Parts: sequence; structure tokens; C-alpha cells
Amino acid sequence: MRSGIGTRLLGTAAVASLALLAVMALVITPQDVNQLDAVRFLYIHVPLATLMYVAFGVTAVASVLYLWPRYRARKWDLLAGASAEIGVVVTGLVLVTGSIWGRTTWGVYWTWDARLTTTAVLFVLFLGYLALRRVGGDIDARAKRNAIAALAAAIDMPIVHKSVEWWRTLHQKSSILDEETFMHPHIHGSMYWTVLLGIGAFLLLFSWLLVNRYRLAKLEDRLEDEGLERAIAERRAEADALTGAP
Amino acid sequence: MAVEDQRAPGRTQGRRRLIIASLVVLAALGFLVVRGLGNATLYFRTADEAVAQRQQLGTERFRIEGTVVDGTVKGMSNAVAFNIESKGVRVPVLHQGDPPELFKPNIPVVLEGHFQGDAFASDRIMVKHSEDYVAKHPSRVTVPPSTVP
Repeated sequence: MRSGIGTRLLGTAAVASLALLAVMALVITPQDVNQLDAVRFLYIHVPLATLMYVAFGVTAVASVLYLWPRYRARKWDLLAGASAEIGVVVTGLVLVTGSIWGRTTWGVYWTWDARLTTTAVLFVLFLGYLALRRVGGDIDARAKRNAIAALAAAIDMPIVHKSVEWWRTLHQKSSILDEETFMHPHIHGSMYWTVLLGIGAFLLLFSWLLVNRYRLAKLEDRLEDEGLERAIAERRAEADALTGAP
Repeated sequence: MAVEDQRAPGRTQGRRRLIIASLVVLAALGFLVVRGLGNATLYFRTADEAVAQRQQLGTERFRIEGTVVDGTVKGMSNAVAFNIESKGVRVPVLHQGDPPELFKPNIPVVLEGHFQGDAFASDRIMVKHSEDYVAKHPSRVTVPPSTVP
């Protein structure tokens, strides 16, 4: 199971678009009227936050497919785990980039407003999900337990997204996914296109990471199966040797 | 074999791991919910709300939000005095310490502190920025529709 030509093209496209994003974000786009150069955090923080939703979204969909008897297959559990692992790393980066951006614009690294708190909760929930995945047991029972835990954790996702509308927060409201102004974005000219480019570039990176992490998960799975078969064969040989002995 | 060793732990050890993992996650969640959501649901009171609740608030610590009134900002050594306004209600503020870099008149701020007489004694200023991002050089671009009244 070596990575195919498609995967390598995906990786190349991710690197190329990230390079283009760096030029757009750091050189081409103008300063913001209030934030000056600090606005450039927009081009990494918003794409990362989008990836967070996509990664945990993939985990949630794969978990539903596993729980649905008609579609139940081992691959959905492996895909859910692979995507959640990337999601947790991305959420960590969302918190870190947000924190640094917060220090330069708000004046504080952290405050317990609803957006920041619910995002931190999401991080801990999926960290717990990854810990749960490592707990042993029968393969099918484990996968079912994983899927239920993932769906429970996913309840926090719409809460994170809506937190800036449901409660008063220091964090500003959505600039992109604002239903009322979807076609009239809050972000200006080239800044807007650069955010969209950032989302595209990070989605390519995510796809590349997911393909590879999923491939690795399948290999791990096969190793586990073959290891088990070998262990059984060894025990059987031992037993044969014992009974076969005079 | 390492593969065998991974398989070796029986049901009891698996269950113990599950319990420990759940306890760690629950403790972290409990901390976040108590610490966070207690504050988060009423993250700040606007200046007019705070003035209306002046009696109940006493010298209790809370967050207040308002727009910095132009022409009222007076810098002192290690302190800054200004007024904030919300729905026409003004609150005088005395802040101990340096304000953040982006602090300036006509922007909304969230302050942490308490009432001292009719003034608000603040020890933390947070600059609230909007979801609008506009280029600094207006000649190059047009005003985004969302900022047009």
C-alpha cells in the first residue's frame, strides 16, 4: 500500500497553494484599517477553524455510517479516527493562533467568553475520544463505542459555531458563514479572496493528511490482525507439540 | 513479540484504562464548564445595563462594555481615564495600567473591574473588534456593503 500518484499530486497541490497563500497573506494583501498587520492572522486562523469543522464533520459522518447497520464496515471507524486525530491537532492550532491574535488585537491571550470556552471544550472532547479509541475490547464493540462517543462530542460543533450569536462574546461574529450577508462579505476585496484561498489550501492539506493517516490506520489494522493470526498459529503449534509429545 | 504484548492486557486492565481516561476528560470538562460557562453566558453588561443595576452590583467584580467617547481620553502615568458610552448612558472609567495597543476613541471595549462611586475602576481593557475587515488605503478599494448604513 504505497501512496499512489493521486496522493502525490494532492500533496504537491497543497504545498503549491500554501506557498501562494503565504505570498498573498504576507505581501499582496493590504493592512487593515484598525488592526494593521495583525489582520494577517485572518488568513491562517479562519482556514484552520474551517478545517476543525470539516475534520470533526468527517468523523461524525463516518461514525453515523458505522452505526447504520446497512453501511457498517470497519473502514468507517478507521476513517473517523484518522480524521479526528487531524481535527484535534488543528483545533490546538486554532486555539494557539487565536490566542496570539487575541493578544495583539484584544490585548489578552485568553478570556472565558462563549466562543473560546466552547472551542476549548471541543478540543478536550475529541482528545477524550482519541483516548477512548485506544481502550481495548472486542473490535465491533470498540468501534460502536467510538462512534457513539464521536457523535456525543460532535454536539458541541454547532454550539461553537453559533456561540457568537447566542451569547455576548469578546470574539467577533462570523465574517464568512453569516447567512444574511453571504454574498456581501464582511471582508474586503483581496483580503476576502485570500481567506477563501486559505480555506482551499488548507482543505487540500487536510485531504492529503487524511488520505495518508487513513492508509496508515489500515496498515496498523492489518498488522494487528496478522499479529493475532501469528499468535494463534504459535499457540496451536505449542499445543500440537504438547499433545504430539510421547 | 510487541504485537502479542499489546493484546495481552485483559478485560480488567482495559476497563481500568477506560475509567481513568473518562475521569480525566470529565475533570477537564467540569473545570471548563464551571470556569467558562458561568462567565460566558453573561460575558459583559453594557454601560447602560450596569448603570441600571448600579445598586445590586455594589463593588462586585464584573465586565462592562461600551464605546470609548472621543475627547474624554486622558493619559496619566501608569493610568488612563476616559468615558465609555452605551445607548446614550456614559460611565467614567479610571484604568490602572497601560491600555492595549489598539485602544483609541470610538471603538468598543470590554473592561474588567468594579464600581467605585459612580466611576468604574478597571484593571483590564479588552479591545472588541468587529467582523469587518477593511483595507487601510481606501483609494485602492471600495467600502464593503456591510458598512454602508
